[in-house]
Amino acid sequence: MRILRYIGRRFLFIGPQLFGIILVSFLLVKLIPGDPAVMMLGPFATEQQIAMLNAEMGLEGTIIDQFWIYLQNLVQGDLGTSWQTTKPVFDDLAIRFPATLELVTLSLLLALLIGIPLGVAAAYFKRSIVKKFSDYYGLLAGSLPDFWLGLILIYLFYTIMQVAPAPLGRIDFAVLPPAPVTNFLIIDSLIAGNWQALWSTLGHLVLPVVTLAVINAGPILKMTQATMERMLESDLIRYAEMCGLPKSVVIRKAFRNSLPSVVTIVSVLYGFLIGGAVLVEIVFSWGGAGQYAVQGVLNADINPVLGFVLFSAILSLIIYLLVDLIYFAIDPRIRG
Amino acid sequence: MAAVETTVAPQAGAPGMTMLDIAGLNVSYPVYEEEPVRAVRDLDLSVRSGEIVGLVGESGSGKTTLARAVMGLLTQPGRIDTGSIQFDGKDMRALSENQLRAIRGRDIAMVIPNPRSELDPLIPVGKQIAAVARAHLDIGRAEADAMALDMLKAVHIPDPTRRFRAFPHELSGGMAQRVVMAISLVCSPKFVISDDATSGLDVTVQAQVLDLLRTLVREHDTSMLFITRDVGITAHFCDRVAVIYRGEIVEFAETADFFENPQHPYSVMLLAAFAHNPALRNKWHKPLASTEAEAGRACLYAPRCVHREDECDERHPDLRELGGARHLVRCHFPVERVA
Repeated sequence: MRILRYIGRRFLFIGPQLFGIILVSFLLVKLIPGDPAVMMLGPFATEQQIAMLNAEMGLEGTIIDQFWIYLQNLVQGDLGTSWQTTKPVFDDLAIRFPATLELVTLSLLLALLIGIPLGVAAAYFKRSIVKKFSDYYGLLAGSLPDFWLGLILIYLFYTIMQVAPAPLGRIDFAVLPPAPVTNFLIIDSLIAGNWQALWSTLGHLVLPVVTLAVINAGPILKMTQATMERMLESDLIRYAEMCGLPKSVVIRKAFRNSLPSVVTIVSVLYGFLIGGAVLVEIVFSWGGAGQYAVQGVLNADINPVLGFVLFSAILSLIIYLLVDLIYFAIDPRIRG
Repeated sequence: MAAVETTVAPQAGAPGMTMLDIAGLNVSYPVYEEEPVRAVRDLDLSVRSGEIVGLVGESGSGKTTLARAVMGLLTQPGRIDTGSIQFDGKDMRALSENQLRAIRGRDIAMVIPNPRSELDPLIPVGKQIAAVARAHLDIGRAEADAMALDMLKAVHIPDPTRRFRAFPHELSGGMAQRVVMAISLVCSPKFVISDDATSGLDVTVQAQVLDLLRTLVREHDTSMLFITRDVGITAHFCDRVAVIYRGEIVEFAETADFFENPQHPYSVMLLAAFAHNPALRNKWHKPLASTEAEAGRACLYAPRCVHREDECDERHPDLRELGGARHLVRCHFPVERVA
């Protein structure tokens, strides 16, 4: 099977790819000004204390020595400790990454539900209101900042109409969260059968998901529309029309042939939003991975930053592998 | 302009009756801030039931535009200005989009060139044939698949059961062309338009495919408009031949008559090019007509014509009957065969 060989080859490259990513991000993080030991011990620390702490954190000697220590710990599954949360970075990310993934995944699903039908309709009905609407929508979604839209939604639905829960995290303080299994609150609530927690989680997801979906539906819509327009003018579709195939069949045919570019834009958005959703996470006090990494950068807390980069890199590799598998599934020419 | 066989009242299906009747058709493509390009001019053409009519012309002469106009599928921004298209007693221009959709692929089928880019790359070819059958005939999935398989056999595709599941990219050009023929003939249409269908194929494959097309069309008593750039093909393929130049029919005659007695200088030029006669071919490099306005008064072919006279620049010739049996020619000075 060609596909198995392909996946096998992909896995062979994952090791070297990850090493490269870690090396580059380690060097870049080291360029951030600020000495973590100084930050941790405060302004009255002695030289000696600082040196001791640096040694403890594996931050003495040349940059190569430091990288070597980091790699050795990494192989043992130790991503270091964040001095801000005083917890192992791995444990922090195990909670925060699912938080972000839950948010981003649902947002992109909703964005697809908005962007694809609008894009297809705008491409097919060229002189319709839908097309006008799609043009303006694409323009607006491209120019509005997502955190601003988030604030507006909070103001409307929480402050004024009081239908949305307070923008303070993923679940009500008063609600007992489900036992952590996957740290995806929806899944954990379902496992625990904790309907109250599920309801509260879903309620808290609505506004941030809508915020991200409305903004990110823009590029999905544009991509769908552009590809569909090109496809509808193609020889392929002209021939389908000549054969007198029903309108619905023709549109479906055009869409199926446009699908690869939609999959591509979604995969790009997904990878981007893991870190790119940070402003929306801050607005909703989401406690996600992006927020964690930014705190790390601002406070010279390098382990969270490196951990975040590593997690994101692995996730991106998984996403791209999935995308390739999807291409395999939809296009017989690649399947070969 | 001369009326061509418009007197016959079209009667569905009867042999010898007019299947397709185009009269006074004008198609143009608007150009921004300029005169629209006239792709088809005052065109009269009729195809009788069971007849194969060849339409020969160089690229840009309006052949494909004509085919698309008949199907009601002109490429944007082209439009029909005037004229009528009668098909099987129906006024095609008066039909709604949905009525046209029901006719396309069912009653009028199109055989196209470059089947590799026109077949759906994501669907097995057998399913594509079945899809057209299912769109037009009231049949189930299994029956449509069976019909598709029969069609694959009918177009002589080797190992049809396996090819049924093949994707277009897995087929050779000749085989893809056969699939396209299967698609166009699966609903047993009354009329087939073949638009330069074999131009992408090797000469030997081309001959096979054409032979097959002719056999199938004759078997089903289907009428056909056979559009081509290759005047040679029409000789043993068509009952009548029409020559189109810059959107205008310049000669229209029975095939034998046309090859024995070509009367328009352009037809002679085409035949000479086909026969590789350099003495005539070398005179092709004349400038194209200067402006559309001028062309309206003059013969469109005059700027390239080797027999050009003053009158050719002053008066646009009508399509007139010459040399007997329905031999129409649009020329002030038709050429004569030197004994």
